[in-house]
Amino acid sequence: MATIERNEILATVCRQLAEILEISAADISETQSLADDLGADSIALIELVDSLEQEFSDIIPNFQFDDDDLSGLRTVADAVNYIVLALGK
Amino acid sequence: MLPIAVDAMGGDNAPSAILAGALEAAALGIPLLLVGPEGLEGIGDLPLLVANEVIEMDDDPAQSVRRKRDSTLVRAAEAVRDGKASAMISAGNTGATMASALLRMGRISGVARPAIATPVPVPGGHPTVLLDAGANAEVQPEWLVQFALMGSVYSERRFGVENPRVGLLSIGEEPGKGDTLRKETYELLKVAPGINFIGNVEGRDLMTGVVDVVVTDGFTGNVVLKTLEGSLRTVVKALFTAFGQPEYADAANTLMPALLPLYETLDPDSYGGAILLGVDGVCIISHGSSSARAMVNGIKCAQEMVETGMVEAIRVAISTTLAE
Repeated sequence: MATIERNEILATVCRQLAEILEISAADISETQSLADDLGADSIALIELVDSLEQEFSDIIPNFQFDDDDLSGLRTVADAVNYIVLALGK
Repeated sequence: MLPIAVDAMGGDNAPSAILAGALEAAALGIPLLLVGPEGLEGIGDLPLLVANEVIEMDDDPAQSVRRKRDSTLVRAAEAVRDGKASAMISAGNTGATMASALLRMGRISGVARPAIATPVPVPGGHPTVLLDAGANAEVQPEWLVQFALMGSVYSERRFGVENPRVGLLSIGEEPGKGDTLRKETYELLKVAPGINFIGNVEGRDLMTGVVDVVVTDGFTGNVVLKTLEGSLRTVVKALFTAFGQPEYADAANTLMPALLPLYETLDPDSYGGAILLGVDGVCIISHGSSSARAMVNGIKCAQEMVETGMVEAIRVAISTTLAE
């Protein structure tokens, strides 16, 4: 499995979020709430999860967010940590 | 023109009706790319993009698109995204078709939500465009304003309507009628640039030609559409039953030449499907029970939408509005 630093994962999550929400990646920080601070609704969350699954599928074979875990993705950091955890498995 | 990607496995009558329609459309000179499993039979000389999974009609839309990455629906949307096809059409799971298009083609910049636009037949006139017909059960007033704009572009491009009249579906014509969503949307539409808003309209106005584009939320729009379809089917069945009586045989023979063209106008298969507006590519959503004829007409519609530059026109309309 290829190695990737946490800050690279964070940058990718921010880039994808910026594209989906049509905001600047520079305005996104790790502690922000996806819904309350960034205005990501349920469709935006699905778009994010789908794009991240595609983005990291080369590094993490069969990488997928478990549907039961989606409600736990409240902040940008939650999404980053989920990928970090999947990398460690 | 790049080929139109046809989901060979989508719909209650797939693949037979889909393939029959595709072969007929191909015979008219429309380039097609079938998307289906390896070894799919009955495809004639049509090219096949292999996809070995099928999203079923009762599969969860968002979940199935993420889980069945090698499905015909997902591959069809990817063919458009990757420049292998100019448009896609499916008679399969509506929610999954929308999710595939949204997740693979993406939204046009500035579009908050894609909406399903359905032509509602008007006897003696051009169809009324109803949107949203089911993509978004819950909406915000600002989204409805975008639906109005996208519906206007569609009405212009597909039916040649100049400066289409836009109505907001409500329970009365007066501005104060309706719930909070309708009242707030009314105020926004009144001042929205690029939209010829004529005020509230009621359900009974849909088939009369007094309005060209009717805007509503996806829940209401879907209920309206299914009610209309069911009502029309019931009326047509009752008419044919009555005309089938021996005592009315002469009258039926006299009236049929007038009634059959009317039936053709009212038949949903004549229009071949709805279009998902707001995604970055042409996506035609056909009825689950689509016949071969419906597929032919849906494919023709897809071709027309590509050739008239529907996606680009919506892109320009949205960006112009955002700049104002």
